[in-house]
Amino acid sequence: MLRIYRCLLHLYPAVHREQFGDEMTAVFEEVQAETATKGITARAFLYVRETAGLLAGALQQHVRALGGARVWLTFPTRGFTMRTEFRFPKTTAVLMIIILAGVLLVIEKGEGIEASLARVSPPGSIVQTNMLPGIAIGLACFYAAGFIGWAILFALRRSGVHRLDDVSVERK
Amino acid sequence: MALGDMSPEVMMEALPLSEPVLLILLSLAGQPRHGYSILKDVEQMSDGRVVLSTGTLYGALRRLLDDDWIERFEEKESSRGRQAYRLTSQGRRNLQAEVSRMKHLTHLASLRASLSLRAAKEI
Repeated sequence: MLRIYRCLLHLYPAVHREQFGDEMTAVFEEVQAETATKGITARAFLYVRETAGLLAGALQQHVRALGGARVWLTFPTRGFTMRTEFRFPKTTAVLMIIILAGVLLVIEKGEGIEASLARVSPPGSIVQTNMLPGIAIGLACFYAAGFIGWAILFALRRSGVHRLDDVSVERK
Repeated sequence: MALGDMSPEVMMEALPLSEPVLLILLSLAGQPRHGYSILKDVEQMSDGRVVLSTGTLYGALRRLLDDDWIERFEEKESSRGRQAYRLTSQGRRNLQAEVSRMKHLTHLASLRASLSLRAAKEI
């Protein structure tokens, strides 16, 4: 795991790596040694946590390097507690962007395929060999619709909107 | 611009601190600590609720160093990779400001909660 950790450290900007690389590796070694005596679950959690932490940290440092010192105020390591402004779950925002990108991609691909099919088969001619791509496209659209539906439900669940149904208002 | 150079109004924009950053500052409030010691102390202070990864810890430490909230502390016997950190006077002031803000908030919350209870009894 130490080798993977060192590889992941290369995702960081060189400045950060030179400044903190040895320290981070040393601390990770200490944490790993401590977890070695614990069960496999604890070790699995450690590896997942460290990998996620390194990936997020590397991204954050690159954003920081691009945007200057004030960027960290808008990209905290975790959600701010007791913030005055409205908080929108980050995971929901990410999922919504993915969903939007997926929808746009499907529309674009669909239009491209439709245009190519129109060129291949002139209007009025029924060609048996064209049925196979049509079925494949239909299935792809079906799966895409299913995935999008699932993603929307998952996003809503992440945002906690579904809990509104459980709220009971008692009036005296 | 470092937070240390900011006006109080602009500095207040940096508050409230995220829970991990607040716990890191609290960990360094008592004594200088190195990375592993901070990790363990944060975990202990939060009863195991906040377990920092090294990526998160050093991301926060770098920001705090750049903004002069903390500084490197040279230990007499320090091995490679065991760098200690301590709060600067600026960091101590900002921590105090955050603690005062939280005190005010909890005081206000308890007042309003008791008012709410009283109002509920009267109905």
